[in-house]
Amino acid sequence: MSAVLLGFAAFLLLSVAGGLIRVLRGPDAADRIMAVQLIGTSGVAVLLLLAAAGANPAIVDVALIMALLAAFAAVAFVKSASADGLGDPEEPDP
Amino acid sequence: MTPALVFDGLLALLAVAAAMAAIGGRDLFGSVAFFIVYGLLIAIAWVRLDAIDVALAEAAIGAGLTGILLISALARVERTASSGESGEGGRLAKIAAALLCAGVAGALAWAALALDPQGAGLTPLISEALPQAGVGNPVTAVLLNFRAYDTLLESIVLLFALVAVWSLADDGNWGGLPGLRQHARSDGVLATFGRLLPPFGLVVAVYLVWAGSENPGGAFQGGTVLAAIWLLVAMAGITELPRVSSLPLRAALVFGPAFFLAVGAIGALAGTFLGLAPAAAKAIILAVEAGLTLSIAATLALLVAGSPQRTQG
Repeated sequence: MSAVLLGFAAFLLLSVAGGLIRVLRGPDAADRIMAVQLIGTSGVAVLLLLAAAGANPAIVDVALIMALLAAFAAVAFVKSASADGLGDPEEPDP
Repeated sequence: MTPALVFDGLLALLAVAAAMAAIGGRDLFGSVAFFIVYGLLIAIAWVRLDAIDVALAEAAIGAGLTGILLISALARVERTASSGESGEGGRLAKIAAALLCAGVAGALAWAALALDPQGAGLTPLISEALPQAGVGNPVTAVLLNFRAYDTLLESIVLLFALVAVWSLADDGNWGGLPGLRQHARSDGVLATFGRLLPPFGLVVAVYLVWAGSENPGGAFQGGTVLAAIWLLVAMAGITELPRVSSLPLRAALVFGPAFFLAVGAIGALAGTFLGLAPAAAKAIILAVEAGLTLSIAATLALLVAGSPQRTQG
């Protein structure tokens, strides 16, 4: 069973490889950060499969932290894209 | 070829590819994006090496703090650097940096290859002493009991790093507010996210510290999650980080190491500095970890926020 799960995890790594190509090519900064987020989601899935394959629930905690904090890079990026780099693109123009 | 070998080979390949892309990239934004991915892959690699405690720390630091730090720093540099002088060092400086990094990498590779692949290291010694440690997680036992002085000194080094960052402030801003003023639309997506996530983050951080006594986790991982959550609330414009002269802040920064030092001093009176009686060890370790979590969270959040740059909110 664990060999099958590791096989699926390896397959998910291929989707990470696809994401890496998007991080490389962009073309926009937003495309690259979206690809990083996608890779983060794949990483969580890989960790959950590894937890099941190794019957080690502590690995689920690693996946939990990654899922909790993965969006932070996107938050920092969105802020950096606002007018003064400290705001929020949703704010009305001053 | 077993699936495990395929997985590990692919993971190693992707990690090296992400690292090369981060170093070799011509634009800094791409390098930062690849560096975030690299941290994620390395966290998975630590899991495969059965070092779950390290994987937790890498996931929290890599996903939570490094991403915020690098992306905000890059945005700041791009806005403030005048054209022509974009922080590009001379050719000589670049070659020197490359040689230095290659030297460190070479020394690390040599140290890793010099390890005996069949050797058990310190594992037998630690398993033998673990029943007296008060906790079931051997990593926590080493960090807070057998080699507690390392952890004590590291927690003090973090404070020194923060003092160094603060010392970059201009005279006029000394004692003021860290970083520039963050703002957001009060009913927007960002502010809502900043209100939604902290309850989950607090639960996860407390869980990590508590779980650390028997399972992977501990003060550093829990403190890093807390720091990231605090920064998120500040970035969402919901709260401001306190003045660096604020007394409650200074108390939070110093409390963990000071309490740790006091515990060590009581141990010294009983015979051994930082020695813990096996019967009381678990309670003392959990108390020290709780204090350290608070101080590590405050220190890391303020390290990322930077030196004081204004006196008015």
